[in-house]
Amino acid sequence: MLRAGCQLLTQSTLPAVKTGSNGFALEFVRWRRKPRWLPVAKSKIFRVPERKKQTEEERTELMRLHNRYKTQLRSVRQYLREEVVRHEETSTVDHIVLTPEQEEAEYQALIAANAEWNATIAREREQRLAKERDEKVAYVHERLEARQLRDEERRERANEAVLREIERSKTYITREGLNAAIETALANPVDPNFAIDMAGNLYQGRTTSQLPDADPQPDQQALSN
Amino acid sequence: MPSYELALVLRQLPRPELISVIRRTAEAILDKGGIIRKLENLGTRALPHKVSEHGVVHRVGTHFTIAFDTAPTKISDLKEEFGRDIDIVRRYIFKVEEPEEHKCTLHEEMLPPAYRKDVQQLIATAQKKQKPKYNYNSGLDYYPFQK
Repeated sequence: MLRAGCQLLTQSTLPAVKTGSNGFALEFVRWRRKPRWLPVAKSKIFRVPERKKQTEEERTELMRLHNRYKTQLRSVRQYLREEVVRHEETSTVDHIVLTPEQEEAEYQALIAANAEWNATIAREREQRLAKERDEKVAYVHERLEARQLRDEERRERANEAVLREIERSKTYITREGLNAAIETALANPVDPNFAIDMAGNLYQGRTTSQLPDADPQPDQQALSN
Repeated sequence: MPSYELALVLRQLPRPELISVIRRTAEAILDKGGIIRKLENLGTRALPHKVSEHGVVHRVGTHFTIAFDTAPTKISDLKEEFGRDIDIVRRYIFKVEEPEEHKCTLHEEMLPPAYRKDVQQLIATAQKKQKPKYNYNSGLDYYPFQK
C-alpha cells in the first residue's frame, strides 16, 4: 500500500528523516514495524516500565469486588453440581429399574438361550467333523490302494526286466568267448548308414567310403512301411 | 548297472595287434566287473581330419564300438585307462537311454492348412479378438453411436 508524498500527512505522522529532504517522497507503510523475531533493541534492554500508581481506597474496592464475584460464582457452580447429582440418583429415564427377582429371571433366560445356541452349534460341528473324518478315511484308503497298485506295477516291471536280462545273459560275451567274438566282429563290419529316395527305397551302407575294404555294396530294398 | 556304449577310434594296425588292442580294452571292462553285450566293427576309414594323439599324427583309423554294462563309478577309471592306451586315438563313452516313445503324426501334418488342428486353433483365436463393427451402408444417414 502506497501512500503518496502528501506533504501534510507525511509531516504530521512521520519524522522528516524517513521522507527525505525533498518535497516529494514515497513512504512504504508496510515495513514500518520491525519483525517479531528481532530482539529487544540494545537501547531498550534495561528499561523498566513504570507501574501504574493505585491508591489504597482503589485497591481495597477492587479487592472487595473481586471477592464478591468469586464467591457468587462458586456458590452457583456448587448448586448446579449438587442438582446434577440429585437428578442422577433419582431419575429412571436412561435405564430400566428391575427387582432382583426379575434380574435373576432374565439372567437365567439368557443362560438358557446361550446353552441352546451352543447345543445347536455343537450338533453342526459334530456332523461336519464326522463327514470330514469319513472323507479322510476314504482318501487314505484310496491312496493306499493306489500305492499298492503302483508297487505291484513296479514289481512287475522289475520282474520283467530281470527275466529279460536273464534271457539276454546267454548272449553276454565272456572272457572265454572274447576271442571268437572279436574274430566275428572283425569279419563282419557293420555300417549303420542308409539313404532313402523319394520312392521310399532304402539304400543301406555308405557309398562314399574312401577305402576299398570299407566299401560294402549298397543293397537296395523297399521300405516295408 | 546302466548300459553304456564305448566308441573307439583305433590306430591303423595289422590284424593280430588290432585283436590284442580290442582284447585289452574288453578285458579292462571285464576286470572292473562289467558285462560286455556286443562288439561291433565299423570298419577302417580315413579320419575326417588329421588327429594328433600321443605325439603321433593319425589320418586313418579303425572304428569300433563295445556295448557294455558297468557301475557308473567305474566309468571315470575306464576313461582314464583308455586315455593312457597309445593305440586308442579317440574314446567316447555314452549312456544308452531308453528310446523315447512318440506317435507318428505325419498324416495330420501333411493335410492342407485349413484342415490342420493347430491352424484351426489359430483361426479361432483370431476370430475371438475381432470386434463387431458398424456397417456404414446399412441405410442410416447418420452414425448411431458416440464417436
